[in-house]
Amino acid sequence: MYQYNDFDRAFLAERTAQFRAQVARRLDGSLTEEEFRPLRLMNGVYLQLHAYMFRVAIPYGTLRSEQMRGLAYVAEKWDRGYGHFTTRQNIQFNWPKLVDIPDMMDHLETVGIHAIQTSGNTIRNVTADHFAGAAADEIADPRPIAELLRQWSTDHGEFQFLPRKFKIGITGSPNDRAVTRSHDIGLRMVERDGEPGFEVMVGGGLGRTPLIGKTIRDFLPKADLLPYIEAILAAYNAAGRRDNKFKARLKITVLENGLEAFRDAVEAEFPARRAAFSGADQQVLAAIEAQFAPPEFRGGDAAAYEAARAADPVFRAWADTNLTAHRRADHAIVTVSLKAHGATPGDCSATQMRALADLADAHGYGELRISHEQNVVIPHVPRDALPALHAVLKEHGLATANIGLASDIIACPGMDYCTLATARSIPVAQAIALTLEEREAEVGPLKIKISGCINACGHHHVGHIGILGLDRAGVENYQITLGGDHTERAAIGERTGPGFPADRIVPAVERLIDAYLELREGADEPFIDTYRRLGMAPFKAALYDQGNVSDAA
Amino acid sequence: MPRDLAPLDAAAASTPELVGRAAALNAAYRHHSAFAVMSRALDDPGVGAIALVSSFGAESVVLLHMLSVMDRRRPVLFLETGMLFPETLAYQQELADRLGLTDIRLIRPEAAALSAADPSGALYLRDSDACCAVRKVQPLEQALAPFAAWITGRKRFQAGTRAALEFFEPDGPRLKVNPLAHWRPEDVRDYMENNALPRHPLVAKGYLSIGCAPCTTPVAAGEDPRAGRWRGQSKQECGIHFVNGRAVRGPVPQAAETTIQTKADTMTETMPEAKTESAPPAGHRIARDDGFRADDWNAPFEPLANLNEAPAAALDLPSTADPAELSGRLDDTRIIRVDFPSFADGRGFTIAKRLREMGYQGRLRARGLIADQYAMARRAGFDEVEVSDTLAARQPEDQWLARANWMAHDYQARLRG
Repeated sequence: MYQYNDFDRAFLAERTAQFRAQVARRLDGSLTEEEFRPLRLMNGVYLQLHAYMFRVAIPYGTLRSEQMRGLAYVAEKWDRGYGHFTTRQNIQFNWPKLVDIPDMMDHLETVGIHAIQTSGNTIRNVTADHFAGAAADEIADPRPIAELLRQWSTDHGEFQFLPRKFKIGITGSPNDRAVTRSHDIGLRMVERDGEPGFEVMVGGGLGRTPLIGKTIRDFLPKADLLPYIEAILAAYNAAGRRDNKFKARLKITVLENGLEAFRDAVEAEFPARRAAFSGADQQVLAAIEAQFAPPEFRGGDAAAYEAARAADPVFRAWADTNLTAHRRADHAIVTVSLKAHGATPGDCSATQMRALADLADAHGYGELRISHEQNVVIPHVPRDALPALHAVLKEHGLATANIGLASDIIACPGMDYCTLATARSIPVAQAIALTLEEREAEVGPLKIKISGCINACGHHHVGHIGILGLDRAGVENYQITLGGDHTERAAIGERTGPGFPADRIVPAVERLIDAYLELREGADEPFIDTYRRLGMAPFKAALYDQGNVSDAA
Repeated sequence: MPRDLAPLDAAAASTPELVGRAAALNAAYRHHSAFAVMSRALDDPGVGAIALVSSFGAESVVLLHMLSVMDRRRPVLFLETGMLFPETLAYQQELADRLGLTDIRLIRPEAAALSAADPSGALYLRDSDACCAVRKVQPLEQALAPFAAWITGRKRFQAGTRAALEFFEPDGPRLKVNPLAHWRPEDVRDYMENNALPRHPLVAKGYLSIGCAPCTTPVAAGEDPRAGRWRGQSKQECGIHFVNGRAVRGPVPQAAETTIQTKADTMTETMPEAKTESAPPAGHRIARDDGFRADDWNAPFEPLANLNEAPAAALDLPSTADPAELSGRLDDTRIIRVDFPSFADGRGFTIAKRLREMGYQGRLRARGLIADQYAMARRAGFDEVEVSDTLAARQPEDQWLARANWMAHDYQARLRG
């Protein structure tokens, strides 16, 4: 895993000192509030409903155990003893004091974590497949590229005041677990005639205008990556709209001008940008790649795992749901659910963070990941260690066996925390999870995603069942979309019809589940496939046709 | 003077057709929410061309927010009487930016009418009705001429005179829509809280209904919210609203044309609310790596448009400029100044980068940045930043020198090699 070098450390110390000075200059009046605002945002400091919120980056979702302990320390010392993992592989602390934040930064710096460009109209934390380096289906580990992009985008003088925020996601597997087509730039690692490169997609995004990214280059040679991305950013910085916040993302620039015109602008810019790169970036990349060498795997005894699986039904249920195939058959990828039924999706206490760090040290080569689905991943666990690991998870309330199931819900913070939100999200997620707890294993794979406003932080557009909370004259109203998909089969969900009030949204979801169980061709046809086979009509009838409701009851 | 209840003939007389239409709309929308009434009224053919009239007062933000969600481009008429609280004017700006309303029209009394009726600006002391007439009623009538209907924020609870308010009212030649008619004070408060809307700064000081500064006072606990308006007078309404088809105020002096000014710059929306030292600074200095210095370029800068006629030694570039169009035309140019319309608008950084990529070797100056952006400007290719005296007073030389180390800790330089 990547370890900061002297350059990184010196940069970060300088940056924190700058922010400390900016806070002081805000307090002495050198900076007005409006001047301070983008400066604090580009350091991860938001002003939320109740307090400042501090958003810390977990680049490409990768954490070492001591970094997780660093997060636990910060949560306990300066916050309320917990943190909230987000859909963009960040962690948020909801209750810090502004004057404490530079101290929090200083502490995180000691374990090589920062909060730079986790907010504001900047290039944000680069996200990647949370199974990178471990998944059986991977072509190449995307994290060295993500780290290269992190370095390139950090404090880039030209791109700190973009028209709007800018998100880059990268995957190294044909099974897209990084939602790349929902990013301003999506990168897919590919090979052509043995030469490594990228498929580059632009203009994806969720929010109020959900759009699937379009391919601007089907093959970009590896060495052209930074200059090409720089050309995209320059074209966007010049052409992106600044008259209307809601039209300012790259997706609108591409939509309004057309992909061809935008591609022409990028290609016109590219030669000069390419000429400025001497090849030093490729040397830096080679050094980064060396740091992402896999750990020295020990042999895992599959027999011990099978014995435990046969003996303990609780372990078996968890193993069948929460494990993913590792590239080594004697290892497994463990996804630890932060979605205990009735809990806040993505919240993790300092005690839990320390327990996870200890487990990673004991059984997982010290490595952890944060997924965009707001869970924690221990990416390399020898199979014989799984029973012991599971036993410790149980002690800490972390053994919920629901990964990929109905209660593994993505939800934004909603009106309980966010100033933008128009409805609550977390209580809806909690209620759905509790209601479906008994039968979610029967229901099988299902992605429910909830956003508390049209900005779509809960990714509702790409949920199999998406829920969008709105404000209708002071009353919460929840709209349902069906058929969204966040994977390589990316699709935007379709609205079913009128929304439901807060007390009727959970029964509405239950009716959808009932309809699916009745309509599916077998237990191996997941919800999304049934929906694709039959379309909206039978589900719409289940939602709105009162006759059907009473029949079903 | 008794507030006579004589109908204001032209204005108050509604045709039987309009009265019937209002009744039909009230029946159709009887069970609708405020949001639905507002949303459908915007496009209901039975309503016609419509504008929101807003005072940007204590509760105005509710309708303004609803409108911004439905269609930010709809016209909003704001009566700038010339007597408003400075807080109201600041709040109007804040809301325009925050909500992104793109067609706010400032309605001002016509100067000639004002100087005839109220030359000393003290008419309100003598005859507040006449003052309202010249500053509000007449300008609004002019401004509403193109519209068949207007939206108001009036609510039943606000005053006894408003207790029977309906969603739709015939009002002279046009229809008046009151989406919030049935709202209780707590509905208003909940809406503002749920949508995290900014409050008028005077509300915290006890002003629950806010009009012109001379005729508005705070309201004590338990008083009717509008009790602070025209306190000590029997006057309850300014005259732009009618009760039972009658204006509650006196005669109107003749006024000539109304000035309508469209505020195009409210388009800036909720972009990082950026403000530069926008007025051309009286004086300025130059920030460079060794600190402040006096500007040594004393000749004028030519605007980009003049470059078509003759080469310019000193050129001003707006942030909309495309450097590619300057290719081959900069041979005689020794200094280019790139204007940042706001420090939060970073287009100028890419312009500088492109000028350097094209091979421009002359001086490159940025205007409109703050000290924290000095390193960014230098890395993008600028040589210097023009700092207004006003900004220099707030951000003195040491704050600019703090970023003179722009060559250090530069990831991009390290990667380019």
